[in-house]
Amino acid sequence: MGYEINEEKVFNSGHAACPGCSEALALRFILNTLGKDAIAVVPPSCIAIISGPQPLSSMSIPVYQTTLEASAASAAGIKRALISKGNNHTNVVAIAGDGGTYDIGFQALSAAAERNEDIIYICLDNEGYMNTGTQKSSATPSMAFTTSTPAGKLSPKKNVPEIMVAHNIPYMATATTGYPDDLARKVKRAMEIKGGLRFINILTPCLAGWGIPDSAGPKTSRLAVQSGMYPLYEVENGESYTLNYGPNGLSVADYVTTQKRYRHLLAEDIELIQAEVDHSWERLQKKF
Amino acid sequence: MSGTVKRVPSIWTTGSTDILNTGTWRSAIAVHEKRPAPCYGVCPVDGDIPVWVQQVRNEKFKEAWQTLVENNPIPAAIGRTCHRPCEGACNRTDFDGAVSINALEQYIGDMAIQEGWAFPAPSVELDQKVAVIGGGPAGLSCAYQLRRKGIQVTLFDANPELGGVLRYGVPEYRLPKKMVAAETQRIVDLGVEVVTGRKLTGADVEELERDYSAIFIAFGAHEPKRLSQFSKNDKRALDGIAFLRSVRLDAPAELGRKVVVIGGGSVAMDVAGSALRLGRQTEILALEGREVMPAPEDEIEDVIEEGALLIDGAMVKTVEDVSGRLLLHCIKVELDQNVLPGIIRPIEIAGTEFILEADTVILAVGQDPELTDWKDRVQVAKGMVKIDEDYRTSHAGIFAAGDVASTERFVSTAIGDGKRAANCIARHLGQLVVVEDAAVETKEVTFEDINTFYFPNQEPGERDKVDADVRIAGFAEIRLGLSDEQALNQAKRCFSCGSCVECDNCSIFCPDMAIIKDADAPLYYKVLEQYCKGCGCCLEECPRGAMGVKEEKK
Repeated sequence: MGYEINEEKVFNSGHAACPGCSEALALRFILNTLGKDAIAVVPPSCIAIISGPQPLSSMSIPVYQTTLEASAASAAGIKRALISKGNNHTNVVAIAGDGGTYDIGFQALSAAAERNEDIIYICLDNEGYMNTGTQKSSATPSMAFTTSTPAGKLSPKKNVPEIMVAHNIPYMATATTGYPDDLARKVKRAMEIKGGLRFINILTPCLAGWGIPDSAGPKTSRLAVQSGMYPLYEVENGESYTLNYGPNGLSVADYVTTQKRYRHLLAEDIELIQAEVDHSWERLQKKF
Repeated sequence: MSGTVKRVPSIWTTGSTDILNTGTWRSAIAVHEKRPAPCYGVCPVDGDIPVWVQQVRNEKFKEAWQTLVENNPIPAAIGRTCHRPCEGACNRTDFDGAVSINALEQYIGDMAIQEGWAFPAPSVELDQKVAVIGGGPAGLSCAYQLRRKGIQVTLFDANPELGGVLRYGVPEYRLPKKMVAAETQRIVDLGVEVVTGRKLTGADVEELERDYSAIFIAFGAHEPKRLSQFSKNDKRALDGIAFLRSVRLDAPAELGRKVVVIGGGSVAMDVAGSALRLGRQTEILALEGREVMPAPEDEIEDVIEEGALLIDGAMVKTVEDVSGRLLLHCIKVELDQNVLPGIIRPIEIAGTEFILEADTVILAVGQDPELTDWKDRVQVAKGMVKIDEDYRTSHAGIFAAGDVASTERFVSTAIGDGKRAANCIARHLGQLVVVEDAAVETKEVTFEDINTFYFPNQEPGERDKVDADVRIAGFAEIRLGLSDEQALNQAKRCFSCGSCVECDNCSIFCPDMAIIKDADAPLYYKVLEQYCKGCGCCLEECPRGAMGVKEEKK
């Protein structure tokens, strides 16, 4: 494994995440890579819960809990204030869920990207509003069950990674918790590239919302990559694509049959998703 | 309002969540534990295979040798002659092929000889003396294990040199003499008194009992079985082990132009291979079909490559003497499936009669121990010395193991029995012997316990074999030992089932940072019980099944 545990421990034990939570795992890799010279901006989300019940915090850095629609704007404001005070070194990192990124915070994010604000924006994408009881977000994939899509979602997942690439930001990457070394390397890369908005979308399987065992987070995240549902890649300056991990021969069926949110699928439904995945992968491959 | 302003504190946070005891959430906790690997489970010497293979991988070769010789003092010899149940049980078999454990054992065994590694002297010297009769695998193993405990040992052998079947049976092309000599000498150098050229019998027991506190008999099985179709005095019908012995002594028995070997075990293959090297046209007649012949498949393949003709599933009915040649009237058979294990009952297939011509027939259909001189001393059952589970014979103070007391005629089985018998003898002499048996405590690691994501496919690699036409020209060794690179590649393929290799996965994948590396912990890591929520990610992400779960009742 290329990932080395940062003993600085910016992320602390005793937090309130569910047992086996992938978001907590992602936070560990992100925060310990960022180090203590950072300020986090967190909107309402599981991340807000995990960051700690007041007056305690699981993160040994300043955390600003903002409103659900304003993560990118808040982070940009903090960064500009730091710069005006002569601090050019502290990383300001917005860490939001997919609801706060794909839906409610999207306007602020797109605007910050358009202005190319000097912040890192990380989306912990668990494909739904899991914190409020598993409602559908625009990150929820086709046919997945949520409490607001009881028969399965009718539209495909919004492709925010490519939308962010289209803003021509200096860095966009997809990552997931089953590949800690890759994830940590991408956070490091985002820190190296300064002076613009860097966006990382991290797939974090939700144990309760997806219907998988407590121990299956990393494994499910790898199945997402290996089945082609979620390729790991990075893009610099909106055009330079690098593939890190793509599908390796596993099928969509290998991925969806381990999750209860797909329990209602028929064989032909799985074939439809497979066709959608094949198509997306074909399109993405042309860019490398 | 009287103008008082409520001040909002600039920092609301007063401390870290690490004072919260999330450990109260769980109902089970993961524990690091060493679990037995399937190779260990079937190893006749109880060898800790994952451990020494891991030491090879870390290029700690001497440590690997030290682990190996805990249970088997002659790895260079066993690395060439073992029947390799470990490779059959290897969890990698169904993934991309078993690890070549036997070849790795040879690699380490050969390195030890080349480097001149010696056994450390026993830490104590005791007055007790044990007589070991038989310098073959069982006797050598027992003598070695007793000496390590500080017990004085005299090793008696009827032959001029030690090694037993390894020295006087297995042909040079499978096991060079110099390897046997080096490895037996290393045991002798541990302070074993050796008396060669002396055949002890039951009549010597009184004398031995005067000088020794215990006697261990392991002189093997040397009385060849015969087939009634062949007269005992017919010089054209030789015994397999006598023939192999003559070859080993560089005075091969005379053979006619065409040789028929009867038998389907390792001895038959060794006989056929030796006859081929002596320039004889060679045919093998085996009772069993090829798939169920007792000889390992690679040994059968070797002799066929070298030019032997294998006729399997057939037997000799009658023999006719026609102008100096033997005409073997044979018939194809199938084996009766409705018999108890260990019993072989052939059923003739009508109309499949055929005739084989032979100038010499070599019988390799098994051996029995020679017990005529011993049977009034120790109880004999089914042609073997009768022993209990502690290797005790009916005569107090006399122990036995190896071919003399077992139907499992494998050299590595004899090594294992010799070791276990040594423990029983030491206990009999009042020594405290503690044997750790991991197998009884924890569940063996299965393929399902392996997280294959962490193991990319890697083609298996065996020892290179010399071309058949080259090897047939002489008795030089036919399998080349692994190169350094091949050995490391092979060692890297090992899953290390159930043995922690400090990969840190358990620690890395813990969302609660509840597993930390701890140099003082017996298995490298400590689980922080105040934080562990019991999710089991560590268990799932352990590539090799080196963790288990402990239920907790609150």
